[in-house]
Amino acid sequence: MTPRIIHANLGVRLRSFYRERSAMFFTFAFPVILVLVFGTIFTKPEHLNFDLPVQDNSGSAASARLLEALAAGAAFRVVVVPVAVDATQYAKDHKLNLLLVIPKDFEALQKQRVAGAQAGVPVPIRYVYDPSSTAVETKIQLLDGVVAAANQTAAGTPPALTLVAASILSKRYRFIDFFVPGIIAMAIMTSCLSNALNMNAELRQKGILRKLATTPITRADWLASSIVYQLILSVISTVAILLVSYFVFDVRLHIGFWLPLIIVVEVIAFVGIGMLLTPFAKEAESASAVANAFLFPMMFLSGTFFPVEMMPAFLQAFAKLLPLYYVNEALRSAMIFVDDAATLRAVAVIAAFAAVVFVAGTFKTRWDEST
Amino acid sequence: MIMTSTGPAIVVDRLRKRYGAFTAVDDISFTVEQGEVFAFLGPNGAGKSTTAEVIETIRAPTSGTVTVLGMDVGKRKAQVVRRIGVLPQNFSSFDRITVRESLQYYARVFGCDADIDALMDLTNLRDRSAARFNTLSGGLKQRLGIAVALVNDPEILFLDEPTTGLDPQARRQVWDVLKGLKDRGKTVFLTTHYMEEAELLADTVAIISRGRIVAIDSPVRLTEAHADQMRLTLKSIDAAAADLLRNLGFAPVPVGEGGLCVPVETPDDVRRILDEIAASGLALGGVDVRKPNLEEVFLKLTAAKPATDVGDHAR
Repeated sequence: MTPRIIHANLGVRLRSFYRERSAMFFTFAFPVILVLVFGTIFTKPEHLNFDLPVQDNSGSAASARLLEALAAGAAFRVVVVPVAVDATQYAKDHKLNLLLVIPKDFEALQKQRVAGAQAGVPVPIRYVYDPSSTAVETKIQLLDGVVAAANQTAAGTPPALTLVAASILSKRYRFIDFFVPGIIAMAIMTSCLSNALNMNAELRQKGILRKLATTPITRADWLASSIVYQLILSVISTVAILLVSYFVFDVRLHIGFWLPLIIVVEVIAFVGIGMLLTPFAKEAESASAVANAFLFPMMFLSGTFFPVEMMPAFLQAFAKLLPLYYVNEALRSAMIFVDDAATLRAVAVIAAFAAVVFVAGTFKTRWDEST
Repeated sequence: MIMTSTGPAIVVDRLRKRYGAFTAVDDISFTVEQGEVFAFLGPNGAGKSTTAEVIETIRAPTSGTVTVLGMDVGKRKAQVVRRIGVLPQNFSSFDRITVRESLQYYARVFGCDADIDALMDLTNLRDRSAARFNTLSGGLKQRLGIAVALVNDPEILFLDEPTTGLDPQARRQVWDVLKGLKDRGKTVFLTTHYMEEAELLADTVAIISRGRIVAIDSPVRLTEAHADQMRLTLKSIDAAAADLLRNLGFAPVPVGEGGLCVPVETPDDVRRILDEIAASGLALGGVDVRKPNLEEVFLKLTAAKPATDVGDHAR
C-alpha cells in the first residue's frame, strides 16, 4: 500500500464525483430528502389538530356544552356544518372522513334520560364516517375518549382503573429519532455498494483496468483508496443528515466516539461486499441490477424504515443475517439508547462480517486477468 | 535509479497461452533488441494482443518464459511495470478528468517527476490540456494514451493497435508522434493490423497468424523474400514492343487495351526497358510500376492455411 498512490486515486475519484452531479444528488441529497419527507409525515403526531365537522341540529344549551367538551380536549378543532344539509351527502361532497351529527331532540332526550319514561337509556350521537380512510380510526378513538370522559363527568363517579405509562427510554423519543440513524446506515451502504460496483464495471468495460494493471498500483492500493474515498463521502453525508434533522426536526442524537467507529466498520464491510460482487457485475447495466438486488431487501428488512419487531418472526430471523441490521442496531444503541454494551455487540458482528468478506474477497478475485 | 541493461529488451521463449480449449498463442519465440521498433502484424484474433498483454505483465502465460530487460515478467512484475510504458488497446481514461489531470494522475501513480507540458507538446495536446476525456475525439484519446504511456520515461513502449478505428487524418497524426519517438531511439513494441503502419515505423516485423509466428524479418527483407516480383505495366503501347522486350530477355504478358505487363527484377530493368522503347520510337501511353509490398506478403502468409481451418472458424 502506497500513500502516494492512494492520494492520486482519491484525487481522481473525488474530482470525478464532484463533476458528476447525479452521483452527488444520490449520495448527499437523496438521504436528506428522505429525512425531510418522512420527518414531515411522522413528526409530532400528538400536536396534530384534527378537524371535527359537527352538524348541530339541536342548537340547544346541552349541545353547546357537548361542543365545548369536544373542543376542550385539544384533539379536535370543531368545524360547524350547516344544519339544513344531508349529513351523508355533505360528508361525501366535502370529502370528510368523519362527521358528527347531534340530533334535533338532543336536549329533550337528555332530559328524558335523567328523569323520564326513558330513564337510563343513553342518548345516541350519530357519526358519519368513511371506512376507507386510514386516519379515521384514530379520530374515532379520540372521539370515544371524549365521550367516555363526558359520560364519567355525567355519572359523577371517579374511574375505577387508570393507566400509568412508563417509557423504556430515559428520554421520550419520536419516530424521526428512530428514523435518522436508519437513514445514515442506509446512505452509507448504498453509496459504498453501488459506487464500488459501478466504478469497477466502468473501469473494466472501458479498459481502464487494463491500463492500471500495467502501473505500480496494487489491489491493496485500490481497495484502500476505495475505503478512504467512501469514508469521506460517508462523513459528509452523515453530517448533512444530522444537521438537517437537528435544524428542521430538532433531532438530538447522542454523538460520541461510537458514530465514527461505526461508520468506519460499515464502510469497510460494504466496500468488501462490493468487491465480492464485482465478478457478477461486469457491465454497467448489470452493476446497478446487482447493487439493487442487494440494497432493496437490506433496506426494507433491516429496520431502516420501521422496527424489525413489526415483522413476522421468520422475517425477523432473516433480518438478523443481514449486515445492515447490525449497523442499525449499533447506530441506534449508540445514538438513541446510549447503551455501550449493545453497541459493542453490534459493532463486533459487523467487524467480524467485514473480516470474513475481505478474506473471501482476496482469495476469490484477482486484479490481473480481470479484464 | 534505473539501471540501463545491455541485453535484449524483450525475450519471448516458447510462449503459449490457452483460454480453456482455445489456444490463443501457440509456442512462439522472438527477441526484441534495444532501440528497435518491433511490429507484431496479424489479423484480428491472431494472438497479437494476448502476446503483448503477457509481455506487459497483464496476463500470465500458460507456459514458456518472457523476460523484459532481463527480468522475468511473472516473477518481477513490480519492477517490470516501472520500466515499461503501455498504450493498451482502445485506451481509455477517467471520463470527467482532463488531459492534464490524467497525466498528473499517472505521473503520481508512478511516483515520477514527469514534465507534463513537454509530454503534451510531444503528443500535440497542449491546447486541449483542460478538455475532459469524454469530450476528446478518438485520435486525441490515443495521443493522450501515448503521452500517459511515456509518463514514467519507459525504456520500452508498448503500443497495442494505436491507430485502430481512427480516421486517416487522425492516424497520420498518431504516426507523426510515433515517428518522433522512433527518432529518439526508444524501444517500441507495436501490434497492428495495418501494413502501412508496420512498413512506415518498424525495423522488424513479425507476422502472426492463428497464434503462430509465420515470418519475422525487416519489412524490406520480408518483401524481398515473400512477395512476387516488381511489375512494370506499359499502357497503350505499340504491338511491336512485345517482340522487342522478348529480345531483351523479358516475358511480357498482354493486358487490357493494348497494354503489356512485364515482370522485372530491379529498378535498373525498368530503366533499361524504358530507354529501349524511347530509342526505338514506339508510342507509349503511360507507365505504372507496382512495387511488391508488405500487404502482399501478409496476405500470402496469413491466407496460406488449410481450408478446414477456415471452415472451423466459419462454424
